[in-house]
Amino acid sequence: MSAPVQTSRWKAIVLRHETALLAVVVIEWLCFNAIGPRFGSLDNTFDILRHSVEIGLLALVMTPVILTGGIDLSVGSLLGLCAILFGKLWRDAGLSPLTAGGCTLVIGALAGGLNAGLITGLRLPPLIVTLGTYSLFRGLAEAITRGADTFTNFPASFLFLGQERWLGLPTQAWLFGAVAAGVWLLVHRTTFGRSFRAIGFSPEGARYAGLPVQRRLTLVYVLAGVIAALAAVIYTARLGQAKADAATGYELFAITAVVLGGTSIFGGVGTVHGTLLGVAAIAVLNNGLVHARQPREVAGMLTGALLLLALSGSVAPKLWAAWRARSRPSPPPTPSSTTS
Amino acid sequence: MKKLLPLFLTAALLLAGCGKSPEASAGATQASGGAKKITVALLPKSKGNAYFISCKAGAEKAAKALGVDLLFDGPTDTDPAKQNEIVENWITLGVDVIAAACDNKEGISTALRKAQSKGIKVITYDADALPDARAFFVNQATPEGIGYGLMDEAARLLNGEGEFAIILATLTAGNQQEWLRHIKNRLAEKYPKMTLVATRPCDDLKDKAQSEATALMGANANLKLIMNICSPAVPGAAEAVKQAGKAGKVKVIGLGLPSENRRYVKEGVTDSIILWKTEDLGALTVEAAVALVKGTLKAGDKSFQSSAMGEFEIKGDNLLLGKPFVFNKDNIDQFNF
Repeated sequence: MSAPVQTSRWKAIVLRHETALLAVVVIEWLCFNAIGPRFGSLDNTFDILRHSVEIGLLALVMTPVILTGGIDLSVGSLLGLCAILFGKLWRDAGLSPLTAGGCTLVIGALAGGLNAGLITGLRLPPLIVTLGTYSLFRGLAEAITRGADTFTNFPASFLFLGQERWLGLPTQAWLFGAVAAGVWLLVHRTTFGRSFRAIGFSPEGARYAGLPVQRRLTLVYVLAGVIAALAAVIYTARLGQAKADAATGYELFAITAVVLGGTSIFGGVGTVHGTLLGVAAIAVLNNGLVHARQPREVAGMLTGALLLLALSGSVAPKLWAAWRARSRPSPPPTPSSTTS
Repeated sequence: MKKLLPLFLTAALLLAGCGKSPEASAGATQASGGAKKITVALLPKSKGNAYFISCKAGAEKAAKALGVDLLFDGPTDTDPAKQNEIVENWITLGVDVIAAACDNKEGISTALRKAQSKGIKVITYDADALPDARAFFVNQATPEGIGYGLMDEAARLLNGEGEFAIILATLTAGNQQEWLRHIKNRLAEKYPKMTLVATRPCDDLKDKAQSEATALMGANANLKLIMNICSPAVPGAAEAVKQAGKAGKVKVIGLGLPSENRRYVKEGVTDSIILWKTEDLGALTVEAAVALVKGTLKAGDKSFQSSAMGEFEIKGDNLLLGKPFVFNKDNIDQFNF
């Protein structure tokens, strides 16, 4: 009796979107490893990790946002704004990188709070609100620096965060791991996570069920702001430079990773580990193509193809079922169907 | 199972994509296995820019002649982190030398220093990094070369006498000031019969340059030539001269891209465009990069003997491309940047 249950459980795991995505990542890895002699080296693995931390962080916090049926287009611009504010706090206000970093996280929280306030307070659609703040934050960054001021010459102790290793791993990987674990626990092991999905399925239903919808939504957008600020500090440490155009277009990379990871853009369905695999699939592809000596444009094409195929994957079974239902001769009427 | 199908298809697509490349990389590994072919990685500021595509064409010719592998890759969007990521990828890829046109001086220097610490040679071209992050900068034009080149060309067109005016970007920009200083030096030194009647800023805007040029022609009846030292001003001034019906009477020269000015040059409004030959810049960069790997170019050298283009002067750690090139009616069609 227990054997069939076991197999069906295994079958369910194997058939899961995340499992298939994991297979894609593994295939990518094996493929590039066979072509590029240095692809599999530890140095390159760390490069992949370093280059995907900022987008990875944005994708991680984008996951709960999209789970609630929302979207945050402002995270890339906020990263740019936080990067130059961090630079200003350090250079012009004379704060230590640590204090400046702390203040930057507060600024990120406030910016996320602005998004949250407009979305929950005025009941405006997240797409419109964050489209507005997307321009606003980038515009502020450009206005503050007049598009020309850049912040550099950070102390080595700060650059350690972005360019060196700590306990064998790139320093920022530890922070990334901590945030990933935190968001995973939040989404998959707490009532918060369940409420995000409930809101995504039906905000009205969630409200009638007694969930504090506004507070939960505020939480996800503020979290997105704080983590975008953290990503800004890491980005600055990695490049040794903060400039107003930092992280241009990162919001779309983050959304791509989340959707590729199996999260429904309509909300309600999705996992954090799926997002992590989505980030990995894109990052490995981007890096591997360099080792395969393929031009950079190919990465964009293949990422797009991967996303479209993954998306079609989620609708294909329904279409297939519909097609089969249509092509099969209609079953004879049964008593139950006549009554209904 | 059905749900998995597309993902398997993706995997197949990837495999197919990979399946093609082993031939290409096999060629590369074979070559590197045999004679240890040098790999030069050339980084433009942006990949689609006609200026850099033209540099690449010259670089490819030089790479072919020297028998080295050339990698050309650059950002396709404006994220400042991209150049760093490309350099870091090249470091792990294990290229022999990186030649970079730097978009963000300080930012990219971090990555270039890392390359140097891993034993990869680094040179810069077109736009320099911080001096400690590279061995040489292939300098396409010194301020003196540009200033003298413009003044000499103006004097040649006016036979050494008459009034002329200058339109520049802003009065405060560092490079503009420096070029202006060299133009004035040359004027004082060699052309006593020529007078600079006005110097006007156009804020790097074509339409403002056009109205400035119109005003200059109105205010100075004997104006013979307008010299434009920022690129938007050249077509701007040409349009003003054309509309005033003074083509040929008031000559237009300036610093700009041939492509932006081809129309006016062919109509006889603009007489000459001064710039360097971008193909030569790409070729010299590759030659210098290879020489750096082979050890034939090293710190302290006073000159560099290229294999295809003769000898080039080295000033400090700047390898000079030489005098700027004059584009005019006769040769402008040969250049497509």
